[in-house]
Amino acid sequence: MADTTDRPTRTRAPRAEANDAGGGAPRRAVVVGGNRIPFARAGGHYNHVNNRDLLVAALDGLVARYGLAGERVGAVAAGAVLKHSKDFNLTREAVLGSALAHDTPAYDVQMACATGMETIVGLANKIRLGQLDSAIAGGVDSASDAPIVVSEPLRRALLDLNRAKTPQQKLKALARIRPGHLAPNAPTTGEPRTGLSMGEHQAITTAAWGITREAQDEIALASHQRLAAAYDAGFFDDLMTPFRRLTRDANLRADTSMEKLASLSPVFGKRLDAPATMTAGNSTPLSDGASTVLLASDAWAAEHGLTPLATVVDAEMAAVDFVHGRDGLLMAPAYAVPRLLARNGLTLEDFDVIEIHEAFASTVLTTLAAWEDDDFCRDRLGLPGPFGKVDRDRLNVHGSSLAAGHPFAATGGRIVATASKLLAQRGSGRALVSVCAAGGLGYAMILEAAA
Amino acid sequence: MSGAQARPARAPRETVEVTRPTSNATLLARGLARAATGGAKLAGALPDVVLVRRGVQADPAVLAAYLQLVGEEVRDVLPAGYLHTLAFPVSTAMLARPDFPLPALGMVHLANRAEVRRPVGVDEVLDARVHAENLVPHRRGTAVDVVAELATDGEVVWRGVSTYLARGVRVPGADRPDDARRPEWHAPEPTGLWRLGADVGRRYAEVSGDHNPIHTSRVAARAFGFARPIAHGMFTAAKALADVGPAGRGDAYAWEVEFATPVLLPATVSVCVTPDDGPGAGDAAGAFTFAAWSRKPHLTGSVRPLR
Repeated sequence: MADTTDRPTRTRAPRAEANDAGGGAPRRAVVVGGNRIPFARAGGHYNHVNNRDLLVAALDGLVARYGLAGERVGAVAAGAVLKHSKDFNLTREAVLGSALAHDTPAYDVQMACATGMETIVGLANKIRLGQLDSAIAGGVDSASDAPIVVSEPLRRALLDLNRAKTPQQKLKALARIRPGHLAPNAPTTGEPRTGLSMGEHQAITTAAWGITREAQDEIALASHQRLAAAYDAGFFDDLMTPFRRLTRDANLRADTSMEKLASLSPVFGKRLDAPATMTAGNSTPLSDGASTVLLASDAWAAEHGLTPLATVVDAEMAAVDFVHGRDGLLMAPAYAVPRLLARNGLTLEDFDVIEIHEAFASTVLTTLAAWEDDDFCRDRLGLPGPFGKVDRDRLNVHGSSLAAGHPFAATGGRIVATASKLLAQRGSGRALVSVCAAGGLGYAMILEAAA
Repeated sequence: MSGAQARPARAPRETVEVTRPTSNATLLARGLARAATGGAKLAGALPDVVLVRRGVQADPAVLAAYLQLVGEEVRDVLPAGYLHTLAFPVSTAMLARPDFPLPALGMVHLANRAEVRRPVGVDEVLDARVHAENLVPHRRGTAVDVVAELATDGEVVWRGVSTYLARGVRVPGADRPDDARRPEWHAPEPTGLWRLGADVGRRYAEVSGDHNPIHTSRVAARAFGFARPIAHGMFTAAKALADVGPAGRGDAYAWEVEFATPVLLPATVSVCVTPDDGPGAGDAAGAFTFAAWSRKPHLTGSVRPLR
């Protein structure tokens, strides 16, 4: 486009820079910063606001903080889990509605709750290969503005009606519609292949690993207390843009207590023989929100006078066969992390910051239990013994999804921004990020302080 | 399963060609006629015939609807349950014969064993052959095996044995077996949940051709002692087969199921579909067991690769 020439455009990295690690090895990709909007509870502050609005709010905050208004960024990748079919180009539409230059390419990614992780890793890899110099990864979800679809028989009848040419064919299609078909279907957190909700799946895993109600409530309490403390310390001041009068995550209960959490009735696992332990307090609520992460090459960051927070070192995906009960639905990170660490010659002790997404308090606990279990590690992971123990003082130190909420695709960006800033504050060290996802998927990532 | 078990050497059965399926009206009329005459409470001998229907073929539209209903991906290979529906009209013709010793109406499906010996494609033209055997006393009546085979150029590609129970009918001269109690039921850890709508009886009837009103009509269900219409056993068994999936069952497999308490529709049913050797098994095809239950078990069974 001719009209872009008067803007300070940045050309592709010269080949020399792409190769400056020597011997053709990729250069490093750094996390420059992150920005999100406070997460709301479904049906709350962000009611009647759609995914594009939420993503634009997070993007515009990032653009403002890093002075990118009107600039062309290499690429923006984002996604949503609860996505309307009309939003086939959600991220591109969000870019067009943001303060970024209109010639910023964008694409959508969808990998359930690991969407945010995949956008970050995919873009970081492009930066490492020299295909991009800068990029914005993101994710957004609105459980309040979820797509509602017509029933399958009605949808098929309407499609046939649309294809019908003669009045007879049209009548035939219409005649198939029954009153019962008119009820709309809202999306559920049910696994399509098993019919069990994510909470019911995790309740089976929780029972199998013998995780107690008290241990889950302790994780939930710590999440709220630590997130509240991080807000009070101003940790999120440069990671967040207020939106619609919300300045902190709406789900955060700074004053919660073990007593309050213990008073809640179980909601999942009530069909099982084992006592039900999972409540609304130790499970994440349906949430609305968006997050973004600014990624770049060192050269691009330096050129913009920006100090990188962390380096994206490596990542690993995993999947488990939950359909046949071989593993719990949310146990894939238990496989991804050991494989990732083995490839990098690291152990759990080598990490100063460990972030395990709290889909449920028990997801964290069953993952930790699996890594400490001799049989699981030998039989399932093929290790000579237990994988290791996570130091709880390094785990989710600023709280996680139980307190912040979990707008599915936005969680990866929230966690990576938090972990990167923690590493930058320390000035050294490594962070491990683990995110479980629907479909038996899991994602693990290693970050390193950029300094 | 007993697929390998050879029949004793005997004179070949008389072959009877079936040219058109037995209508529901015929079935109903014969059933009602039997009921009106008080029914034969003593079972005679099984007809010594093989019913044959040539040129049986899948209907792609019906196949797609079947696969979507039971939870299979739409593909051009026919799963064991769909092959059962291709042979079913011939089995029905057997049950509806005036000389068949048991009343077709109100029969209970006790068990089903089937083998897919090689993948059968959507375009294959098959011959269906059906005979009945094993008329045996059961603690609640008389059981019989209806054996169906689908073959192409003489090669049997699918064989199914359906065991049905006629309640209250006795085999002359045979002692009624002891009222053997089922072993106490212990529900396994579920791997899934089936939400079966009130309409699945009608929908399965449409794709399978099994229009027994016990699955579609409240009145008919009541007449046979059920508060609501019950799910087709083969529908639930086909769902379990779908849950095993192609990676688990492989190209050729044996699929066995025993039916216990009927599923009253609509229903929410817990399911466990898991490798025989439990957690730790690889992803390669291996034996699977399955069970579906509410308070009591509805069905249990297995899927085992044949090679």
